[in-house]
Amino acid sequence: MITNTDKGWRKKGLAIVLLLMSFALPQKNKITVYLIGDSTMADKEVIAYPETGWGMPFHYFFDSTVTVDNRAKNGRSTRSFIAEDRWQPVVDNLREGDYVLIQFGHNDEVPTKKTYTTLGNFTANLEKFVNESRSKKAIPVLITPVARRKFDSTGKIEETHAAYTQLVKDVAVKLHVPLIDLDKESQELVQQFGPETSKYLYNYLAPGENPHYPEGRSDDTHFSELGARKMAEIVLHDIKNLHLELADHIRVVKQKEKK
Amino acid sequence: MTKLNRNFKFLRNPGHVPLPWERGWGEAFKYKSLFKNISLITLITLISFIPPIKKKTSIWMIGDSTMCLYDSSRFPLTGWGMPFAEYFDSTVTVENKAKGGRSTRTFIAENRWQPIVDNLSNGDYVLIQFGHNDESESYPDRYTPPEDYRKNLVKFIIESRDKKAIPVLLTPVSRRKFDSAGNALETHAVYSKVVHEVADQYKVSLIDLDQMSIALLQEYGPENSKLLFMQLEPGENPDYPLGIHDNTHFNAHGARHVAELVLEGMKNLHLALADRIIKGKFKSK
Repeated sequence: MITNTDKGWRKKGLAIVLLLMSFALPQKNKITVYLIGDSTMADKEVIAYPETGWGMPFHYFFDSTVTVDNRAKNGRSTRSFIAEDRWQPVVDNLREGDYVLIQFGHNDEVPTKKTYTTLGNFTANLEKFVNESRSKKAIPVLITPVARRKFDSTGKIEETHAAYTQLVKDVAVKLHVPLIDLDKESQELVQQFGPETSKYLYNYLAPGENPHYPEGRSDDTHFSELGARKMAEIVLHDIKNLHLELADHIRVVKQKEKK
Repeated sequence: MTKLNRNFKFLRNPGHVPLPWERGWGEAFKYKSLFKNISLITLITLISFIPPIKKKTSIWMIGDSTMCLYDSSRFPLTGWGMPFAEYFDSTVTVENKAKGGRSTRTFIAENRWQPIVDNLSNGDYVLIQFGHNDESESYPDRYTPPEDYRKNLVKFIIESRDKKAIPVLLTPVSRRKFDSAGNALETHAVYSKVVHEVADQYKVSLIDLDQMSIALLQEYGPENSKLLFMQLEPGENPDYPLGIHDNTHFNAHGARHVAELVLEGMKNLHLALADRIIKGKFKSK
Protein backbone atom coordinates (compact mmCIF):
# COMPACT_ATOMS: atom_id res chain seq x y z
CA MET A 1 0.00 0.00 0.00
CA ILE A 2 1.38 3.38 -0.98
CA THR A 3 0.24 6.22 1.15
CA ASN A 4 0.22 9.85 0.16
CA THR A 5 3.08 10.50 2.56
CA ASP A 6 5.23 7.91 0.74
CA LYS A 7 4.47 9.54 -2.61
CA GLY A 8 5.47 12.88 -1.19
CA TRP A 9 8.83 11.55 -0.02
CA ARG A 10 9.43 9.87 -3.36
CA LYS A 11 8.95 13.18 -5.14
CA LYS A 12 11.21 14.90 -2.68
CA GLY A 13 13.82 12.12 -3.07
CA LEU A 14 13.75 12.49 -6.83
CA ALA A 15 14.14 16.25 -6.53
CA ILE A 16 17.12 15.84 -4.21
CA VAL A 17 18.82 13.35 -6.56
CA LEU A 18 18.31 15.71 -9.53
CA LEU A 19 19.63 18.60 -7.50
CA LEU A 20 22.74 16.66 -6.50
CA MET A 21 23.33 15.55 -10.09
CA SER A 22 23.32 19.14 -11.25
CA PHE A 23 26.27 19.77 -8.94
CA ALA A 24 28.29 16.78 -10.15
CA LEU A 25 31.15 17.89 -12.40
CA PRO A 26 31.20 16.58 -15.93
CA GLN A 27 33.26 13.39 -15.80
CA LYS A 28 36.70 13.75 -17.36
CA ASN A 29 38.03 10.67 -19.10
CA LYS A 30 41.41 9.29 -18.12
CA ILE A 31 43.98 10.01 -20.77
CA THR A 32 47.57 9.03 -21.30
CA VAL A 33 50.19 11.37 -22.72
CA TYR A 34 52.97 9.36 -24.35
CA LEU A 35 56.32 11.08 -24.76
CA ILE A 36 58.53 9.69 -27.50
CA GLY A 37 61.94 11.16 -28.12
CA ASP A 38 65.57 11.26 -27.07
CA SER A 39 67.75 12.00 -24.03
CA THR A 40 66.68 15.64 -23.79
CA MET A 41 63.19 14.37 -22.93
CA ALA A 42 63.90 11.05 -21.19
CA ASP A 43 63.61 10.01 -17.56
CA LYS A 44 67.08 9.57 -16.05
CA GLU A 45 68.51 7.03 -13.67
CA VAL A 46 69.48 8.44 -10.27
CA ILE A 47 73.15 7.77 -11.05
CA ALA A 48 72.96 10.39 -13.85
CA TYR A 49 71.42 13.15 -11.69
CA PRO A 50 71.39 16.13 -11.88
CA GLU A 51 71.05 15.51 -15.64
CA THR A 52 67.31 15.85 -16.19
CA GLY A 53 65.10 15.24 -19.21
CA TRP A 54 62.28 17.75 -19.67
CA GLY A 55 59.78 14.89 -19.55
CA MET A 56 60.57 14.48 -15.84
CA PRO A 57 59.19 17.80 -14.50
CA PHE A 58 56.50 17.64 -17.22
CA HIS A 59 54.89 14.85 -15.13
CA TYR A 60 54.02 17.27 -12.36
CA PHE A 61 51.77 19.65 -14.27
CA PHE A 62 48.60 17.63 -14.77
CA ASP A 63 45.60 16.64 -12.72
CA SER A 64 44.79 13.07 -11.75
CA THR A 65 42.99 12.33 -15.05
CA VAL A 66 46.32 12.38 -16.90
CA THR A 67 49.05 9.77 -16.89
CA VAL A 68 52.32 10.86 -18.47
CA ASP A 69 54.09 7.82 -19.92
CA ASN A 70 57.59 8.91 -20.82
CA ARG A 71 58.94 6.43 -23.40
CA ALA A 72 61.77 8.72 -24.56
CA LYS A 73 65.17 7.05 -24.44
CA ASN A 74 68.74 8.32 -24.40
CA GLY A 75 70.53 8.19 -27.76
CA ARG A 76 67.54 7.31 -29.92
CA SER A 77 66.66 8.68 -33.35
CA THR A 78 63.30 8.14 -35.06
CA ARG A 79 64.93 5.27 -36.92
CA SER A 80 66.46 3.44 -33.93
CA PHE A 81 63.35 4.09 -31.83
CA ILE A 82 61.27 2.22 -34.39
CA ALA A 83 63.92 -0.43 -35.12
CA GLU A 84 64.21 -1.32 -31.41
CA ASP A 85 60.48 -1.90 -31.32
CA ARG A 86 59.83 1.02 -29.00
CA TRP A 87 57.09 2.53 -31.14
CA GLN A 88 54.81 -0.45 -31.81
CA PRO A 89 54.08 -1.03 -28.08
CA VAL A 90 52.96 2.61 -27.84
CA VAL A 91 50.60 2.14 -30.81
CA ASP A 92 49.25 -1.05 -29.26
CA ASN A 93 48.42 0.81 -26.05
CA LEU A 94 46.95 3.96 -27.58
CA ARG A 95 43.32 4.71 -26.87
CA GLU A 96 41.00 7.34 -28.26
CA GLY A 97 41.86 10.78 -26.85
CA ASP A 98 45.41 9.88 -25.80
CA TYR A 99 48.26 12.18 -26.83
CA VAL A 100 51.60 11.40 -28.43
CA LEU A 101 54.24 14.10 -28.01
CA ILE A 102 56.99 13.56 -30.57
CA GLN A 103 60.42 15.16 -30.22
CA PHE A 104 63.36 13.76 -32.18
CA GLY A 105 66.26 15.19 -34.13
CA HIS A 106 69.37 15.26 -31.92
CA ASN A 107 70.41 11.74 -32.90
CA ASP A 108 68.82 11.69 -36.36
CA GLU A 109 70.84 14.64 -37.66
CA VAL A 110 74.41 13.57 -36.87
CA PRO A 111 75.87 11.65 -39.85
CA THR A 112 78.66 10.14 -37.72
CA LYS A 113 76.21 8.56 -35.27
CA LYS A 114 74.93 5.01 -35.74
CA THR A 115 71.45 6.40 -35.27
CA TYR A 116 71.75 8.76 -38.24
CA THR A 117 68.54 9.09 -40.18
CA THR A 118 68.48 10.67 -43.63
CA LEU A 119 66.25 13.69 -44.19
CA GLY A 120 63.83 11.59 -46.22
CA ASN A 121 63.61 8.85 -43.63
CA PHE A 122 63.20 11.36 -40.79
CA THR A 123 60.14 12.78 -42.56
CA ALA A 124 58.77 9.33 -43.29
CA ASN A 125 59.22 8.25 -39.65
CA LEU A 126 57.47 11.36 -38.30
CA GLU A 127 54.59 10.73 -40.71
CA LYS A 128 54.44 7.14 -39.48
CA PHE A 129 54.13 8.34 -35.86
CA VAL A 130 51.40 10.80 -36.84
CA ASN A 131 49.38 8.45 -39.04
CA GLU A 132 49.55 5.47 -36.72
CA SER A 133 48.59 7.64 -33.72
CA ARG A 134 45.59 8.90 -35.66
CA SER A 135 44.60 5.41 -36.73
CA LYS A 136 44.04 4.76 -33.00
CA LYS A 137 42.16 8.09 -32.65
CA ALA A 138 45.02 9.48 -30.55
CA ILE A 139 46.27 13.05 -30.99
CA PRO A 140 49.86 13.49 -32.19
CA VAL A 141 51.76 16.68 -31.35
CA LEU A 142 55.02 17.45 -33.14
CA ILE A 143 57.83 19.19 -31.27
CA THR A 144 60.93 20.63 -32.92
CA PRO A 145 64.19 19.49 -31.24
CA VAL A 146 65.08 21.53 -28.15
CA ALA A 147 68.07 23.85 -28.53
CA ARG A 148 71.68 23.10 -27.76
CA ARG A 149 73.72 25.74 -25.96
CA LYS A 150 75.81 27.22 -28.74
CA PHE A 151 76.70 30.89 -29.03
CA ASP A 152 78.67 32.74 -31.69
CA SER A 153 81.53 35.08 -30.73
CA THR A 154 79.12 38.01 -30.38
CA GLY A 155 77.01 36.17 -27.79
CA LYS A 156 74.20 35.29 -30.16
CA ILE A 157 72.68 31.82 -29.94
CA GLU A 158 73.14 29.62 -32.99
CA GLU A 159 70.60 27.31 -34.59
CA THR A 160 71.87 23.74 -34.27
CA HIS A 161 69.02 21.76 -35.82
CA ALA A 162 68.20 23.85 -38.91
CA ALA A 163 67.46 21.07 -41.41
CA TYR A 164 65.65 18.68 -39.06
CA THR A 165 63.60 21.39 -37.38
CA GLN A 166 62.36 22.46 -40.80
CA LEU A 167 61.31 18.88 -41.58
CA VAL A 168 59.25 18.72 -38.39
CA LYS A 169 57.49 21.93 -39.40
CA ASP A 170 56.90 20.63 -42.93
CA VAL A 171 55.26 17.46 -41.63
CA ALA A 172 53.13 19.52 -39.23
CA VAL A 173 51.87 21.67 -42.12
CA LYS A 174 51.35 18.78 -44.52
CA LEU A 175 49.42 16.59 -42.09
CA HIS A 176 47.83 19.43 -40.05
CA VAL A 177 49.47 18.38 -36.80
CA PRO A 178 49.67 20.71 -33.79
CA LEU A 179 53.26 21.98 -33.61
CA ILE A 180 55.33 23.15 -30.66
CA ASP A 181 58.37 25.02 -31.96
CA LEU A 182 60.53 24.15 -28.98
CA ASP A 183 63.73 24.73 -30.95
CA LYS A 184 62.87 28.39 -31.49
CA GLU A 185 61.39 29.01 -28.05
CA SER A 186 64.21 27.31 -26.17
CA GLN A 187 66.74 29.31 -28.20
CA GLU A 188 64.95 32.46 -27.08
CA LEU A 189 65.18 31.33 -23.47
CA VAL A 190 68.87 30.42 -23.75
CA GLN A 191 69.51 33.77 -25.44
CA GLN A 192 67.73 35.57 -22.64
CA PHE A 193 69.97 33.80 -20.11
CA GLY A 194 73.06 34.66 -22.19
CA PRO A 195 76.34 32.79 -22.78
CA GLU A 196 77.39 32.49 -19.12
CA THR A 197 74.14 32.21 -17.19
CA SER A 198 72.70 29.70 -19.66
CA LYS A 199 75.18 27.15 -18.26
CA TYR A 200 72.83 26.85 -15.28
CA LEU A 201 70.18 25.45 -17.62
CA TYR A 202 72.46 22.66 -18.79
CA ASN A 203 74.39 19.97 -16.95
CA TYR A 204 77.42 22.07 -16.03
CA LEU A 205 79.29 20.84 -12.97
CA ALA A 206 82.68 21.85 -11.58
CA PRO A 207 85.20 19.05 -10.86
CA GLY A 208 84.47 17.59 -7.42
CA GLU A 209 81.16 19.42 -7.17
CA ASN A 210 78.88 16.43 -7.68
CA PRO A 211 79.62 12.82 -6.63
CA HIS A 212 78.06 11.42 -9.81
CA TYR A 213 80.47 13.43 -11.97
CA PRO A 214 83.80 13.49 -10.10
CA GLU A 215 85.62 15.10 -13.03
CA GLY A 216 82.91 17.70 -13.50
CA ARG A 217 80.84 18.13 -16.65
CA SER A 218 80.31 20.69 -19.39
CA ASP A 219 77.32 19.47 -21.35
CA ASP A 220 75.70 21.79 -23.90
CA THR A 221 72.91 19.36 -24.80
CA HIS A 222 71.49 17.86 -21.61
CA PHE A 223 69.68 19.85 -18.96
CA SER A 224 70.00 20.48 -15.26
CA GLU A 225 66.84 20.41 -13.10
CA LEU A 226 66.45 24.10 -13.88
CA GLY A 227 66.72 23.80 -17.65
CA ALA A 228 64.47 20.74 -17.78
CA ARG A 229 61.77 22.52 -15.82
CA LYS A 230 61.99 25.65 -17.98
CA MET A 231 61.68 23.53 -21.16
CA ALA A 232 58.72 21.66 -19.70
CA GLU A 233 57.09 25.01 -18.89
CA ILE A 234 57.50 26.09 -22.53
CA VAL A 235 55.83 22.91 -23.78
CA LEU A 236 53.05 23.39 -21.26
CA HIS A 237 52.42 26.98 -22.35
CA ASP A 238 52.20 25.90 -25.97
CA ILE A 239 49.70 23.18 -25.08
CA LYS A 240 47.57 26.01 -23.70
CA ASN A 241 48.21 28.32 -26.64
CA LEU A 242 47.30 25.60 -29.13
CA HIS A 243 44.01 25.15 -27.24
CA LEU A 244 44.54 21.43 -27.08
CA GLU A 245 41.92 19.64 -25.02
CA LEU A 246 44.83 18.45 -22.89
CA ALA A 247 45.13 22.00 -21.54
CA ASP A 248 41.89 21.39 -19.61
CA HIS A 249 43.76 18.72 -17.66
CA ILE A 250 46.54 20.99 -16.44
CA ARG A 251 46.13 21.05 -12.72
CA VAL A 252 44.47 24.04 -11.17
CA VAL A 253 46.00 25.11 -7.89
CA LYS A 254 44.53 27.74 -5.65
CA GLN A 255 47.62 29.46 -4.43
CA LYS A 256 47.63 31.05 -1.01
CA GLU A 257 48.85 34.63 -1.03
CA LYS A 258 52.22 34.80 0.66
CA LYS A 259 52.16 36.50 4.02
CA MET B 1 62.58 -60.54 -5.21
CA THR B 2 63.69 -56.99 -4.55
CA LYS B 3 64.35 -57.82 -0.95
CA LEU B 4 66.47 -60.75 -1.92
CA ASN B 5 68.58 -58.69 -4.33
CA ARG B 6 69.31 -56.08 -1.69
CA ASN B 7 70.30 -58.57 0.96
CA PHE B 8 72.56 -60.60 -1.27
CA LYS B 9 74.01 -57.79 -3.40
CA PHE B 10 77.63 -58.36 -2.32
CA LEU B 11 77.35 -62.10 -2.85
CA ARG B 12 76.21 -61.58 -6.44
CA ASN B 13 79.21 -59.27 -7.14
CA PRO B 14 82.07 -60.77 -5.18
CA GLY B 15 84.65 -58.28 -6.61
CA HIS B 16 82.65 -55.21 -5.52
CA VAL B 17 84.28 -53.01 -2.86
CA PRO B 18 81.54 -51.43 -0.75
CA LEU B 19 81.28 -47.64 -1.27
CA PRO B 20 81.10 -45.39 1.83
CA TRP B 21 77.31 -45.08 1.71
CA GLU B 22 77.01 -48.84 1.38
CA ARG B 23 78.83 -49.36 4.70
CA GLY B 24 77.43 -48.90 8.16
CA TRP B 25 77.44 -45.56 10.04
CA GLY B 26 80.68 -46.42 11.80
CA GLU B 27 82.53 -46.49 8.50
CA ALA B 28 81.00 -43.16 7.35
CA PHE B 29 82.26 -41.34 10.44
CA LYS B 30 85.84 -42.11 9.45
CA TYR B 31 85.38 -39.92 6.39
CA LYS B 32 83.48 -37.16 8.20
CA SER B 33 86.51 -35.56 9.88
CA LEU B 34 88.33 -35.49 6.55
CA PHE B 35 85.38 -33.74 4.85
CA LYS B 36 85.16 -31.37 7.77
CA ASN B 37 88.77 -30.25 7.34
CA ILE B 38 88.48 -29.80 3.60
CA SER B 39 85.26 -27.77 3.87
CA LEU B 40 86.75 -25.57 6.59
CA ILE B 41 89.80 -24.75 4.47
CA THR B 42 87.58 -24.05 1.45
CA LEU B 43 85.36 -21.77 3.51
CA ILE B 44 88.29 -19.76 4.89
CA THR B 45 89.75 -19.39 1.40
CA LEU B 46 86.40 -18.17 0.03
CA ILE B 47 85.87 -15.71 2.87
CA SER B 48 89.26 -14.13 2.23
CA PHE B 49 88.01 -13.13 -1.23
CA ILE B 50 84.80 -11.47 -0.01
CA PRO B 51 85.15 -7.69 0.47
CA PRO B 52 84.31 -6.51 3.99
CA ILE B 53 80.58 -5.99 4.26
CA LYS B 54 79.63 -2.44 5.25
CA LYS B 55 77.12 -2.27 8.03
CA LYS B 56 73.83 -0.63 7.11
CA THR B 57 73.64 2.92 8.41
CA SER B 58 70.81 5.39 8.66
CA ILE B 59 71.13 9.15 8.37
CA TRP B 60 68.41 10.85 10.38
CA MET B 61 67.73 14.39 9.22
CA ILE B 62 66.07 16.79 11.62
CA GLY B 63 65.32 20.36 10.65
CA ASP B 64 62.92 22.71 8.94
CA SER B 65 61.35 23.54 5.57
CA THR B 66 64.70 24.15 3.87
CA MET B 67 65.60 20.49 4.45
CA CYS B 68 62.30 18.58 4.37
CA LEU B 69 60.52 16.42 1.81
CA TYR B 70 57.78 17.96 -0.36
CA ASP B 71 54.89 16.46 -2.24
CA SER B 72 55.10 16.78 -6.03
CA SER B 73 52.03 19.03 -5.94
CA ARG B 74 54.34 21.79 -4.67
CA PHE B 75 57.02 21.27 -7.31
CA PRO B 76 59.49 22.88 -7.98
CA LEU B 77 59.68 23.48 -4.20
CA THR B 78 62.44 21.17 -2.96
CA GLY B 79 64.10 20.65 0.41
CA TRP B 80 67.83 20.02 0.19
CA GLY B 81 67.34 16.68 1.96
CA MET B 82 65.59 15.38 -1.17
CA PRO B 83 68.53 15.47 -3.62
CA PHE B 84 70.92 14.74 -0.71
CA ALA B 85 69.48 11.22 -0.46
CA GLU B 86 70.48 10.44 -4.05
CA TYR B 87 74.22 10.45 -3.44
CA PHE B 88 74.83 7.48 -1.12
CA ASP B 89 75.53 3.82 -1.81
CA SER B 90 73.02 1.11 -0.95
CA THR B 91 74.33 0.67 2.63
CA VAL B 92 72.88 4.05 3.61
CA THR B 93 69.24 4.85 4.32
CA VAL B 94 68.30 8.51 4.57
CA GLU B 95 65.44 9.18 6.99
CA ASN B 96 64.37 12.76 6.35
CA LYS B 97 62.27 13.75 9.37
CA ALA B 98 62.60 17.51 8.85
CA LYS B 99 59.30 19.41 8.89
CA GLY B 100 58.32 22.81 7.56
CA GLY B 101 57.81 25.58 10.11
CA ARG B 102 59.50 23.74 12.98
CA SER B 103 61.96 25.21 15.44
CA THR B 104 64.02 23.05 17.82
CA ARG B 105 61.35 23.78 20.45
CA THR B 106 58.29 22.78 18.43
CA PHE B 107 60.10 19.79 16.90
CA ILE B 108 60.60 18.40 20.40
CA ALA B 109 57.20 19.54 21.73
CA GLU B 110 55.35 17.78 18.90
CA ASN B 111 57.11 14.56 19.83
CA ARG B 112 59.07 14.40 16.60
CA TRP B 113 62.43 13.83 18.31
CA GLN B 114 61.71 11.02 20.78
CA PRO B 115 60.62 8.50 18.08
CA ILE B 116 63.94 9.12 16.33
CA VAL B 117 65.91 8.50 19.53
CA ASP B 118 63.96 5.28 19.99
CA ASN B 119 65.01 4.11 16.54
CA LEU B 120 68.67 5.18 16.59
CA SER B 121 71.22 2.42 16.10
CA ASN B 122 74.91 2.30 16.87
CA GLY B 123 76.75 4.16 14.10
CA ASP B 124 73.74 6.05 12.74
CA TYR B 125 74.11 9.74 11.94
CA VAL B 126 71.87 12.61 13.03
CA LEU B 127 72.05 15.74 10.87
CA ILE B 128 70.73 18.71 12.78
CA GLN B 129 69.79 21.93 10.98
CA PHE B 130 67.49 24.39 12.68
CA GLY B 131 67.41 28.15 13.09
CA HIS B 132 65.03 29.68 10.52
CA ASN B 133 62.00 29.30 12.77
CA ASP B 134 63.80 29.47 16.12
CA GLU B 135 64.97 32.99 15.29
CA SER B 136 61.65 34.30 13.96
CA GLU B 137 60.46 36.56 16.74
CA SER B 138 57.42 37.54 14.67
CA TYR B 139 56.09 33.96 14.95
CA PRO B 140 55.65 33.42 18.72
CA ASP B 141 54.42 29.88 18.06
CA ARG B 142 57.83 29.01 16.60
CA TYR B 143 60.23 31.41 18.26
CA THR B 144 62.89 29.89 20.51
CA PRO B 145 65.24 32.24 22.39
CA PRO B 146 68.98 31.61 21.77
CA GLU B 147 69.47 30.03 25.19
CA ASP B 148 66.67 27.52 24.64
CA TYR B 149 67.94 26.89 21.12
CA ARG B 150 71.33 26.01 22.65
CA LYS B 151 69.75 23.65 25.21
CA ASN B 152 67.74 21.90 22.53
CA LEU B 153 70.80 21.39 20.33
CA VAL B 154 72.64 19.95 23.33
CA LYS B 155 69.70 17.62 23.98
CA PHE B 156 69.87 16.33 20.38
CA ILE B 157 73.61 15.71 20.77
CA ILE B 158 73.56 13.98 24.15
CA GLU B 159 70.60 11.78 23.34
CA SER B 160 72.12 10.80 19.98
CA ARG B 161 75.38 9.88 21.67
CA ASP B 162 73.54 7.89 24.35
CA LYS B 163 72.41 5.61 21.52
CA LYS B 164 75.96 5.58 20.08
CA ALA B 165 74.82 7.59 17.08
CA ILE B 166 76.93 10.39 15.59
CA PRO B 167 75.42 13.88 15.68
CA VAL B 168 76.46 16.43 13.03
CA LEU B 169 75.56 20.08 13.53
CA LEU B 170 74.78 22.35 10.59
CA THR B 171 74.46 26.10 10.74
CA PRO B 172 71.20 27.19 9.08
CA VAL B 173 71.39 27.52 5.29
CA SER B 174 71.42 31.17 4.22
CA ARG B 175 68.52 33.23 3.01
CA ARG B 176 69.01 35.23 -0.21
CA LYS B 177 69.90 38.73 0.89
CA PHE B 178 72.30 41.16 -0.78
CA ASP B 179 73.37 44.68 0.06
CA SER B 180 73.24 47.41 -2.58
CA ALA B 181 76.87 46.71 -3.49
CA GLY B 182 75.99 43.11 -4.37
CA ASN B 183 77.47 41.46 -1.27
CA ALA B 184 75.63 38.40 0.05
CA LEU B 185 74.70 39.10 3.67
CA GLU B 186 74.65 36.97 6.80
CA THR B 187 71.01 36.25 7.70
CA HIS B 188 71.38 34.02 10.78
CA ALA B 189 74.20 35.76 12.72
CA VAL B 190 73.03 35.02 16.27
CA TYR B 191 71.75 31.48 15.79
CA SER B 192 74.65 30.34 13.60
CA LYS B 193 77.00 31.51 16.35
CA VAL B 194 75.16 29.37 18.89
CA VAL B 195 75.60 26.32 16.65
CA HIS B 196 79.34 27.03 16.46
CA GLU B 197 79.61 27.36 20.23
CA VAL B 198 77.73 24.14 20.91
CA ALA B 199 79.88 22.30 18.35
CA ASP B 200 83.05 23.56 20.07
CA GLN B 201 81.87 22.80 23.58
CA TYR B 202 80.65 19.29 22.84
CA LYS B 203 83.22 18.44 20.15
CA VAL B 204 80.56 17.82 17.54
CA SER B 205 81.31 17.67 13.80
CA LEU B 206 80.14 20.94 12.29
CA ILE B 207 79.20 21.81 8.72
CA ASP B 208 79.07 25.58 8.37
CA LEU B 209 76.28 25.50 5.81
CA ASP B 210 75.44 29.14 6.50
CA GLN B 211 78.87 30.34 5.31
CA MET B 212 79.08 27.78 2.48
CA SER B 213 75.70 28.84 1.12
CA ILE B 214 76.54 32.54 1.45
CA ALA B 215 79.58 31.81 -0.76
CA LEU B 216 77.31 29.99 -3.23
CA LEU B 217 74.93 32.97 -3.34
CA GLN B 218 77.87 35.31 -3.86
CA GLU B 219 79.10 33.18 -6.74
CA TYR B 220 75.65 33.39 -8.40
CA GLY B 221 75.29 37.08 -7.61
CA PRO B 222 72.23 39.18 -6.74
CA GLU B 223 70.26 38.44 -9.90
CA ASN B 224 71.21 34.86 -10.81
CA SER B 225 70.87 33.64 -7.24
CA LYS B 226 67.11 33.87 -7.80
CA LEU B 227 67.58 30.77 -9.97
CA LEU B 228 68.26 28.80 -6.79
CA PHE B 229 65.09 29.83 -4.97
CA MET B 230 61.34 29.60 -5.41
CA GLN B 231 61.12 32.51 -7.80
CA LEU B 232 58.43 32.09 -10.45
CA GLU B 233 56.64 34.61 -12.62
CA PRO B 234 52.81 34.68 -12.54
CA GLY B 235 51.51 32.03 -14.94
CA GLU B 236 54.91 30.42 -15.38
CA ASN B 237 54.13 27.32 -13.37
CA PRO B 238 50.66 25.84 -12.79
CA ASP B 239 51.43 25.12 -9.13
CA TYR B 240 51.99 28.85 -8.47
CA PRO B 241 49.56 30.71 -10.74
CA LEU B 242 50.16 34.02 -8.93
CA GLY B 243 53.92 33.64 -9.15
CA ILE B 244 56.18 33.56 -6.13
CA HIS B 245 59.21 35.50 -4.89
CA ASP B 246 60.64 33.51 -2.02
CA ASN B 247 64.19 34.08 -0.75
CA THR B 248 64.17 31.25 1.78
CA HIS B 249 62.93 28.12 0.04
CA PHE B 250 64.81 26.38 -2.75
CA ASN B 251 63.75 25.07 -6.10
CA ALA B 252 65.12 21.74 -7.36
CA HIS B 253 68.25 23.44 -8.69
CA GLY B 254 69.05 25.30 -5.46
CA ALA B 255 68.28 22.29 -3.26
CA ARG B 256 70.75 20.19 -5.23
CA HIS B 257 73.46 22.84 -4.89
CA VAL B 258 72.92 22.98 -1.12
CA ALA B 259 73.00 19.17 -0.93
CA GLU B 260 76.33 19.27 -2.78
CA LEU B 261 77.67 21.67 -0.14
CA VAL B 262 76.64 19.34 2.68
CA LEU B 263 78.26 16.35 0.93
CA GLU B 264 81.41 18.42 0.49
CA GLY B 265 81.26 19.33 4.20
CA MET B 266 81.08 15.62 5.11
CA LYS B 267 84.11 14.84 2.99
CA ASN B 268 86.06 17.73 4.52
CA LEU B 269 85.25 16.42 8.02
CA HIS B 270 86.52 12.96 7.00
CA LEU B 271 83.40 11.39 8.44
CA ALA B 272 83.32 7.60 7.91
CA LEU B 273 80.01 8.27 6.19
CA ALA B 274 81.87 10.08 3.42
CA ASP B 275 83.20 6.70 2.22
CA ARG B 276 79.63 5.76 1.37
CA ILE B 277 79.06 8.71 -0.93
CA ILE B 278 78.71 7.44 -4.49
CA LYS B 279 81.79 7.60 -6.67
CA GLY B 280 80.31 8.24 -10.10
CA LYS B 281 81.94 7.11 -13.30
CA PHE B 282 80.77 9.80 -15.69
CA LYS B 283 83.54 11.55 -17.59
CA SER B 284 83.76 15.29 -18.00
CA LYS B 285 82.20 15.83 -21.41
